[in-house]
Amino acid sequence: MEWSEWLSAIQNSASRQGELVWRLRLPRAIAAWAVGAMLAMSGCLMQVLLRNPLADPYVLGVSGGAAFATLLGMVFGIAVAFLPWLALLGALVSVLIVFGLARGTGPWSGTRLLLTGVVTASGWAAMISLILSLSPDSSLRGMLFWLMGDLSYATLPLWSLVVLAGCFVLTLGLARSLNVLAMGETTARLLGEPTRHLLWLVYLLASVLTATAVSIAGSIGFVGLIVPHLMRLLVGSDHRILIPAATLFGGFFLVVSDTLARTVLSPQQLPVGVITALLGVPLFLLLLNRAKLKGV
Amino acid sequence: MSSLICQSLDVSIAGKTICSKLNLELVPGQFWGLLGSNGIGKTTLLKCMAGLTAPDAGTVLLENQPIDKLPRRVIARLLGMLQQHTVYVFDASVLETALTGRHPHLGYWERESADDQQKALAAIRAVDLEGFEARSVTGLSGGEARRLAFAALMVQEPAIFLLDEPTNHLDMKHQIRIMNRVEKQVNEHQRAALTALHDVNLAARYCSHILMLFGDGEWRAGPATELLNQRMLEKLYQCPVESVRTSTGTRFLPGG
Repeated sequence: MEWSEWLSAIQNSASRQGELVWRLRLPRAIAAWAVGAMLAMSGCLMQVLLRNPLADPYVLGVSGGAAFATLLGMVFGIAVAFLPWLALLGALVSVLIVFGLARGTGPWSGTRLLLTGVVTASGWAAMISLILSLSPDSSLRGMLFWLMGDLSYATLPLWSLVVLAGCFVLTLGLARSLNVLAMGETTARLLGEPTRHLLWLVYLLASVLTATAVSIAGSIGFVGLIVPHLMRLLVGSDHRILIPAATLFGGFFLVVSDTLARTVLSPQQLPVGVITALLGVPLFLLLLNRAKLKGV
Repeated sequence: MSSLICQSLDVSIAGKTICSKLNLELVPGQFWGLLGSNGIGKTTLLKCMAGLTAPDAGTVLLENQPIDKLPRRVIARLLGMLQQHTVYVFDASVLETALTGRHPHLGYWERESADDQQKALAAIRAVDLEGFEARSVTGLSGGEARRLAFAALMVQEPAIFLLDEPTNHLDMKHQIRIMNRVEKQVNEHQRAALTALHDVNLAARYCSHILMLFGDGEWRAGPATELLNQRMLEKLYQCPVESVRTSTGTRFLPGG
């Protein structure tokens, strides 16, 4: 479309093209932005929570639970419109399992949480493989797309925007505490943080964000891992700047990725998870290399 | 001024008693040295006194209130602790890290003021890290990381300093520099300090009071002049000790 056609399409929502923009493209772009923003924010939180730069939103099994529930729904032929709810349910069940098992009675243990989460994730992965191996070929393609992350059927319910906004404000309020937490749990306590409460709050925030994102678009990889690091390289580690930067850029990154996924081999649509990885990996390695040259 | 009081404190780790019925009062203007052989439980005791772990029995009082009843934020404004190990996992600049000392003094949405910046810059200068402000903490050497952690503690401005081997990884010049800083805080600003040390001679040079841990719960506390002698040190470290008179006082060497 030319610019003038775009303009008329936007102004005249009743026209065929106007409908395309308003009913299909715009909701999908907003959904992509919101999902990217949530994953990037969740990635920042998980990395501080586990004090591990390799942590991503999925490391503790949130996406595994969602994927299992969704695939099970697909097997039993549940209507597409209900699948996001199943995903959300699966994700939250997984969060509760990990939370319940890792909580214990003793002091906070990041290692216990990590191990519980990783083992739970492996459990989900096994169940997913089981479902995939037993499913008929005809439904495999849809399942694989969902697993790789796919925005084709994404709709963005209003509540997810409320979740995004609420989590963003809360996380931003915690930003200075996150800076302190990144230096270790004991250091954070010595600097006045009630870490036991803070850490569980961070875990719950990250989980709710991931669960919401996964319920909308499946488990899109790399955004939650790479965007926080990219932003650390660009704006530094102060979470008061890092969180807004990662949130904005995470959304932008996924909108671009999804547009490419839609258009590169058009009319064939690619799963957006493939594009995020294909775009993210070289971009990240490039920036990392430049940062090394500067001696950071 | 704030004081830290241990009331008949029993502390143990993994079934091993570190101290039993420890009574100790850290009063402003006192510089305590905590001595004992490796693995005797100095760190565990310091953590207990900082309210990080609970004692088996007894109480730690901070400003006459049980420390486990105080919110961490309130504790952090009164008491600061330098941990034995400083490991930085995430990139942050030296200045940002020094500024974390202001954390307990700032409100939820509050940002560091220009005054806070000045405090952080002064502390960075004091530990000889001037020019490193924008550097990443992950690239610092062991000694530099140690000095930065100390700078952050100075920025925190606690009334009570608990220091776990502050001179670890430091060369002679910086050992003296750090100990001078603590001494200045104690004498000029009426703070109290308790410092775990392995260097008996640093203790002899700086500390006004000594707490000795002998293992099996046995301890002795008192003025340095009473406790720092050949007989006590031989008992403490279970090795022969020689004492040498120098122009600045008695110093100790491991004997043959």
